Amino acid sequence: MTQVTTWEQVREQCPDVSKVDLLVGVPTFDHASTVEPVMKAIVAGLEASFSHASILLVNADAGSQDGTPEMVKGAVGGPLPVALVQHVTGSMFSNPFAHLRLSESGVPAREHAFRAFFTIAEELQAKACIVIDANLRSVTPEWIERLARPVLEKEADYVAPLFQRQRYEGSLTNSLIAPLTRALYGKRIACQTGGGYGFSGKLASLYLQRDVWEGDAARFGIDSWLTTVAVAEGSNVWQAFLGTKVQDTKASGLDVSTVLAQAVGASYHYMERYQDVWEKQMGSSPVPTSGPSYELGSESVVINVERMVKGFRQGLRDLLPIWEMILAPETLAGILPLGLVDEDGFRFPIPLWVQIIYDFALAYRDKVIHREHLLKSLTPLYLGRTASLVLETKDGGPDEIERTIEQVCEWFELLKPYLVGRWRFQ
Amino acid sequence: MSEMWQEAMIEGFRETMKRIGLFLPKLTALLTFLVLGLAIGWLVKVLLLRTLKTFRFDQLCERLGVTPALGKAGMKQPVSHMIGRLSFWIVFLLFTFMGIDALDLPATANLMNVILGFLPQVLAAILVALIGALLANFSGEATLIAAVNAQIEEAQLIANLIRWGVLLFTAAMVLTQLGIAKEIVVAAFSITFGGIVLALAIALGLGGRTIAKEALERRLRRRTTVDEVSHI
Repeated sequence: MTQVTTWEQVREQCPDVSKVDLLVGVPTFDHASTVEPVMKAIVAGLEASFSHASILLVNADAGSQDGTPEMVKGAVGGPLPVALVQHVTGSMFSNPFAHLRLSESGVPAREHAFRAFFTIAEELQAKACIVIDANLRSVTPEWIERLARPVLEKEADYVAPLFQRQRYEGSLTNSLIAPLTRALYGKRIACQTGGGYGFSGKLASLYLQRDVWEGDAARFGIDSWLTTVAVAEGSNVWQAFLGTKVQDTKASGLDVSTVLAQAVGASYHYMERYQDVWEKQMGSSPVPTSGPSYELGSESVVINVERMVKGFRQGLRDLLPIWEMILAPETLAGILPLGLVDEDGFRFPIPLWVQIIYDFALAYRDKVIHREHLLKSLTPLYLGRTASLVLETKDGGPDEIERTIEQVCEWFELLKPYLVGRWRFQ
Repeated sequence: MSEMWQEAMIEGFRETMKRIGLFLPKLTALLTFLVLGLAIGWLVKVLLLRTLKTFRFDQLCERLGVTPALGKAGMKQPVSHMIGRLSFWIVFLLFTFMGIDALDLPATANLMNVILGFLPQVLAAILVALIGALLANFSGEATLIAAVNAQIEEAQLIANLIRWGVLLFTAAMVLTQLGIAKEIVVAAFSITFGGIVLALAIALGLGGRTIAKEALERRLRRRTTVDEVSHI
């Protein structure tokens, strides 16, 4: 019903547009303070790199009260066709989990905006579809080219964003999501989320066909599964270096256990769905990148290691009966001595961390305890591993952190037979 | 005199034999009901155990947290075994009551009627107790994990308070459902619950005002430093 309504809105506003090369989607919600420069950067990027292509700009707004859609229209002006669609209808918030899926883009029910873009892209037989977040202050015209060109000229199906980040920023992604994705599906992708994405028309249609919009899968935010589904489906995956990401709304507004439950839950959920794909996958290969290469920022974000170690120790003290149900006895035996080490000497071995993630994946599949509880009980262990990473690399440069992250990835690949064996025979 | 004595003896013997003759079939009926109760109870237990095993009921209870909850209450057996044993005793008791009813004793005349009349309340009470135990376990576990993740030192205490609070509420509901000392249960529950809330309010207001202030300040200050890092 929503899809038909969205398409009808586009038809009404742009009756002359029947087929496009490139569809640019901008999801918004009360982004009056940032949307204008974002739209201007998009228009400049389109004029500079795709002046001869047929283009449609679509703004999917979630019900802004600050005049964001009008500002979008005003900022684009000129000859570029623009369609403004309202993607939030009465039924949008009927899902009680919708508020949990509020991503760092600041757009509620963001997946409905993506669904609208994919539907319009399919209807217009778009060759490529790119989506740019409106809450950013760092969008440049180059983004458009880096996200769209691999799709239009290099047959890429999916272009994931890659940002220059500060030390230890995105530690959950670096120590869990990306290594797990790499070990499972064989793609060395950074698994960063938000900001901007590029899709081929083929992949947009595939997303629409897959059962990811309703039911269990819909509990996870769209940013948690876009990359996983693309790599699991065997799409031609690229990354686009987009520089730094400066945004108004930060993910840190959500507590770490909620962020972890969302991201890790999505990875585990798709492990069940794509079991036949990842069980056969051996090794990994890098994915092509558009734009210049990047280095990790040398400045560190403020991290309270003492609090992280304390969080781990409290988990060990209070959550041990729960971990006993989830973890294999040998994994648990590896964790127990960590509670006795003082803070300076605290080290969380990488192989132990990998075994924990694999044990949790099995427990998630077997529904050993309520899944939300299971995912959130991983938080103290994650804090322990992150504290260890900081302590291991505090005196080293960005290279050392990169090396450690790479080691984590290698261990995930090395111990994959442990996961496969237990997954098949347990 | 001798004739009268003889007649009285014969009459007494005849009456006793008549009574025994009347009672023996009833006793046989009781014994038959007991044997039937044992046999059918055992059969129901075996069939139920096999059905529950086929549907992997114990694994389901493990996942739902029923087994750990019962384990904490000292019941270490698999749930399917407990259900099997319970079904045996229910069937056996039903047959026993039928047997007692068959004796036709004045004292047990309405026993079956009373028991059958009370059965719906017992079943409803069992259901309430089961749901309550599940809810207590679920909310206790959720509270514990949330409190540990928020690094609250007293996480175990808070989780136990929640768990036992729900169990206490369930026990009060079960007793009310069974109609046992209804007024006393409601009054006791209200006094206990109200007392706890009042005690906490007084303790925080008078004794722990400074501590509460410091704890809140600590938490708010901590939040500003922790939120610097984006984990995803």
